[in-house]
Amino acid sequence: MKRWSKISFKRIEPFLYLAPFLIGIIIFTLYPIFNVFFMSFKENYKYLTGEFSGYGFDNFVQILSDPYFIQSLKNTFSYVLIVIPISTCLAIVFAVLLNQNIKLKALFQTAYFLPMVTSVTAVGMAWKFMFNYNSGLINFFLNLLGFEGINWLQIASNNFAALAIFGICNILPFIIILLLSGLQNIDPLYYTAAKVDGANTLTCFFRITLPLLAPTICMVLIVNTISTFKVFNELFPLFNGPGIAYNLFTVVYYIYYQFRGLTPPKYGLAAAAAIILFIIIFCFTMIQLYVQKKYSLEENKS
Amino acid sequence: MKITIENLTKQFDNHLAVNNFSAQIESGQLVSLLGPSGCGKSTMLNMLSGILTPSQGKIWFDEDDVTDVAAEKRGVGLVFQNYALYPHMTVLENICFPLEIQRVPKAERIARAKEMAQLVHVEDLLDRLPKQMSGGQQQRVAIARALVKKPRLLLLDEPLSNLDARLRIEMREEIRRIQQSIGITTIFVTHDQEEAMSISDAIILMKQGVLQQMDKPQELYDQPKNCFVADFLGNPTINKLNAVYEGGRLLVEGMPCDIETSSVPASAPLYLSCRVESVLINQKPSSIKGTIIDTYVIGKENIANIQVGNSRVRAYIDSDSALRPTEEVTLSFKNKGVFLFDANSGERYI
Ligand SMILES: Nc1ncnc2c1ncn2[C@@H]1O[C@H](COP(=O)(O)OP(=O)(O)O)[C@@H](O)[C@H]1O
Ligand SMILES: [Mg+2]
Repeated sequence: MKRWSKISFKRIEPFLYLAPFLIGIIIFTLYPIFNVFFMSFKENYKYLTGEFSGYGFDNFVQILSDPYFIQSLKNTFSYVLIVIPISTCLAIVFAVLLNQNIKLKALFQTAYFLPMVTSVTAVGMAWKFMFNYNSGLINFFLNLLGFEGINWLQIASNNFAALAIFGICNILPFIIILLLSGLQNIDPLYYTAAKVDGANTLTCFFRITLPLLAPTICMVLIVNTISTFKVFNELFPLFNGPGIAYNLFTVVYYIYYQFRGLTPPKYGLAAAAAIILFIIIFCFTMIQLYVQKKYSLEENKS
Repeated sequence: MKITIENLTKQFDNHLAVNNFSAQIESGQLVSLLGPSGCGKSTMLNMLSGILTPSQGKIWFDEDDVTDVAAEKRGVGLVFQNYALYPHMTVLENICFPLEIQRVPKAERIARAKEMAQLVHVEDLLDRLPKQMSGGQQQRVAIARALVKKPRLLLLDEPLSNLDARLRIEMREEIRRIQQSIGITTIFVTHDQEEAMSISDAIILMKQGVLQQMDKPQELYDQPKNCFVADFLGNPTINKLNAVYEGGRLLVEGMPCDIETSSVPASAPLYLSCRVESVLINQKPSSIKGTIIDTYVIGKENIANIQVGNSRVRAYIDSDSALRPTEEVTLSFKNKGVFLFDANSGERYI
């Protein structure tokens, strides 16, 4: 009897160590995820009383016919499709430049990475001043170059551009850091070899740097696509909400709005929107993983 | 192509890596640049390829001064110690790369690459990636890549150091064969004297950035210009005995020696250096005595270790020799392979 209990304690011992973390995950992550999933199918759900009329696709039908949700999908997709390629390309250029042996290298690196250790909101406030129509830095430079200033924040049709510019600059340091670490793993000998073979800087970049950096770029794309699909924080410092005239709904903002912006809150709709966002991100990540896998398989096949 | 190097100097910050280096390399020759690690061989090679700019001096390719010509315009092929094959390209793509940069049409490019692959015997590996090949195969591909653009000069920087001993011997013969078959002027960097001796038309021996001697391998071995050259070449290494010239005769480890000397400064510390094969045991009357420490066999050679004064001497002995440890022996020397150096300056007297 005594021996048996000793063995069984040995068996459960590992789970005891895991328990605190597991319990946290279950309460704060797994339970809400399942809850959201079920909530999205509950029709006429009342959160406080827990009443609902039955399971069905009513919530999904409702949000898919809600112009604000359609708008939020459009905005989110546009945001991802604009911010990701531009920020990645810019980051590659900056990372390659920062990786050169230039004077004041440390100064430039610090300057680029400073925004990363500052909160989005604080950086966003700074951008709000820079976007200011009359006294902002951006319009000041546009004027210097002979262009007319743009009313970034107060005219609805310019809001998206302001958001995208802010978003691009905001994730740039993060991508640059990741790419720099990838660049540092490339043996400088390849460049010496290429140079003796007669390659110029541009050839070196396209034939050596880019292919050898491809795995890092792939990883950056996946991580950032996921995070930009969840664009939300960026809306507050610039517009205090979804833009002027409610034209800048994003999917996450839509979810938040169903919770906090309406009385009574529509939890079912919020849950349905969250599920749709999950499916979109899931599909995108799968596509990227598939492309990456196929790409590296092709490389290994020969 | 003939290469002329004139007073070449390279200064790094506060370190003189190559110091006033002058040499001439005849067309079609394979010349080894030999010297201990850190003596400036790679620096020298990088100045020839154009990767580094000399601090002073000039480099001539035939009649052209190429000192200020950029690396990509010099038309040299370079092979590195760790191959530096592009990891994301197949063997064929690697060999094609220099031609691609020269905008050679694709069909011609592939034909020439295949021709090169055949020359270095990697024609069956064209679709492999570098990581799917052994070190020896990678080095062959690196040589093919260096040769495919038909360079006027081939530079190899310790190309065999990453290979195992057996492969090293095979590859050095391969390099010699390839070099001979296209007759390209080649500079081969190595720190291994045996490697240099076995494949070179001439050897340049360097020490701390300074050229010590440039000669045919056998000449370098038989007629070293200074103590460093004598020490560096030969396996087993040359024997070194302390000597001094006093009262009109040479004292070796305090014992009078009948080697004829002239114009040797009196009382200065000297080294009597003698090749292992130049030491004779108990063959001639001599006043140089030693004690056998031990005897051993390497391959087909029997060697005796002998204590002479404060120094150790190695000598070849017969396989049926009856010499035993602690035995007293008499040492004398052949005429060839015996040198007298100044212990401080390394200058050679005989
Ligand atoms: N880029 C550099 N900066 C400073 N010192 C260098 C540099 N490259 C080489 N050296 C120094 O020059 C000397 C010769 O180096 P190297 O030519 O690489 O020697 P080897 O190839 O003969 O081993 C070494 O002492 C090395 O430390
Ligand atoms: Mg070296």
